[in-house]
Amino acid sequence: MSTLRIAAHSALRPAIFIRHRNVLRRLVVPLVILGVWELVCELGLVRPLILPPPHAVWDAFTGMKGQLPGAILTTLSITLTGFLIGTAIGLAMGLVMAYSVIARDFFGTIFDFLRPVPIFALIPLFLLWFGIGKPPEVALVSMGCAVILGVSTSEAIRNIPSIYIRAGLTLGARRSGIYRTVIIPYIFPHLVGAIRLAAASAWGLDVAAEFMGSQQGLGYLIIEQQIYLRTAGIFVLVFVYCILAIVFDVLIARIERHVTRWTERRSAKGIVASIVGSQ
Amino acid sequence: MTVMSTPSSIAPRILISISDLRFSYGPAGAGVRPILEGFDLEVRESELLSIVGPSGCGKSTLLSIIAGLLRVDAGTVLVDGAERTEPGPDRAMIFQEDAVFPWRTVRANVEYGLQMQGKSRAERHRIADEYLRLVGLVDVWDLFPRQLSGGMRKRVDVARAMAVQPQILLLDEPFAALDVMTKEQLQLDFLGVWAKTQLTAIFVTHDLEEALFLSDRVVVMSRDPARVIRDVAVPFSRPRDRTLRTSQEFQELRGELAEQLRFETGDLEAIEAT
Ligand SMILES: Nc1ncnc2c1ncn2[C@@H]1O[C@H](COP(=O)(O)OP(=O)(O)O)[C@@H](O)[C@H]1O
Ligand SMILES: [Mg+2]
Repeated sequence: MSTLRIAAHSALRPAIFIRHRNVLRRLVVPLVILGVWELVCELGLVRPLILPPPHAVWDAFTGMKGQLPGAILTTLSITLTGFLIGTAIGLAMGLVMAYSVIARDFFGTIFDFLRPVPIFALIPLFLLWFGIGKPPEVALVSMGCAVILGVSTSEAIRNIPSIYIRAGLTLGARRSGIYRTVIIPYIFPHLVGAIRLAAASAWGLDVAAEFMGSQQGLGYLIIEQQIYLRTAGIFVLVFVYCILAIVFDVLIARIERHVTRWTERRSAKGIVASIVGSQ
Repeated sequence: MTVMSTPSSIAPRILISISDLRFSYGPAGAGVRPILEGFDLEVRESELLSIVGPSGCGKSTLLSIIAGLLRVDAGTVLVDGAERTEPGPDRAMIFQEDAVFPWRTVRANVEYGLQMQGKSRAERHRIADEYLRLVGLVDVWDLFPRQLSGGMRKRVDVARAMAVQPQILLLDEPFAALDVMTKEQLQLDFLGVWAKTQLTAIFVTHDLEEALFLSDRVVVMSRDPARVIRDVAVPFSRPRDRTLRTSQEFQELRGELAEQLRFETGDLEAIEAT
């Protein structure tokens, strides 16, 4: 009886350890960085203006608590609206250009011309056109996302194995049927990467947009902290951006897992998974 | 095995009539050698015709033309007396490549053509069930193709093509990628399904034994450009079973045709050597 309990006990400890091993491993680097950070500040190696100690960042956070919810809401609404509009436009552009030669001839040149233009360079123009406030910010985020999705969509469509289209045609599908039942379902999982990239870029575009002339929102708060030389506040806001972006990315990854359940990679287990990594 | 004096399908009506076909990939007459030139072939109704020929001679090309996926430079393909240049479910095709839609479940794959015809959900379900049972697939209807073996995927492909109830079934080396055991089982099962439907079928293969075992007639194709060099009525009665393969008549006919095919490819190598 007692020997059994001992055996169970000693067998349990590694099991728990193994279960949490991943989490522990993931925490190592952040904790080390935090430790070094605090140490560097304590020893007075850098001035607090350049790098405030972690506890100062925490203080700044508690000090800003009142402002944060409103700012987060503003930023979220700009980023999400821009992301959704841009993604929809990019997807539609990619599909339309693949579907119709006429559309390709009409919009292809413009699209090719816009693709390599650095979006940030357009900020002053957007301000001129749309004024100060939310519209230019949303427009900027949308445009960045639209370009990413447009390029990826036409690329994905170009890479569809023709066998599926031929099979669809011989089974009685017409042109529009092929789009609905072959092309869209096929490209969807291939676009998930682009959608995640667009989502990640949306936050960056939002910061840039807010730097130019927002009156609220997280980006505006960053500029405010900069003006008053509150470095710790900037750290707080950067962390908030990080958390928002990560939560958003995790949500998209959830959806991805559902839409891509037919693809091979979800079943990658064993040696392949150990080589290329798996989630 | 009984040897009959006439082929088992006595259906004199010509369903497919191909005449003076000319086809080349790329722009016509730009110095590109045509794959098909002056190609003629007739297929009778309810006939199971096999086409054998050396690799690259244009078998897949020919099927794609009949299916309406490729446009010819000259000549006509008449089905039931009418030219059909667009692809359609009257000529369903089973491709050499794996063409089962990986994003659809087994059942949704078989329902595909019916969905394109605008059939109701209940109707689609009923027909899909029928054909899935016919090809011997049960218990896997809700799985995705990646969860199936190669042989099962081919069964899905066959069920999907037959579910649209085509007039003609075009099969392009459907079992070529399978191992021998699976292949022989699928051949037998295919014969069973075909016997029930009596579809007109063109079965392309590079496997002579497969051609003789399955079909009413075997056509041997040459290369550069593709032509029919031999047209043999297969004299074995139906239903056929495994023992046919080992019978003397079967092996003799196989040997004779193999000789001809070897001659054809050997001849070609001689030309290429010069
Ligand atoms: N899409 C294509 N473009 C150009 N040439 C092709 C294409 N498909 C096939 N060919 C060529 O046409 C010839 C016949 O091909 P195919 O019909 O696939 O032969 P088979 O099915 O008898 O092996 C081959 O020489 C092949 O290289
Ligand atoms: Mg072929």
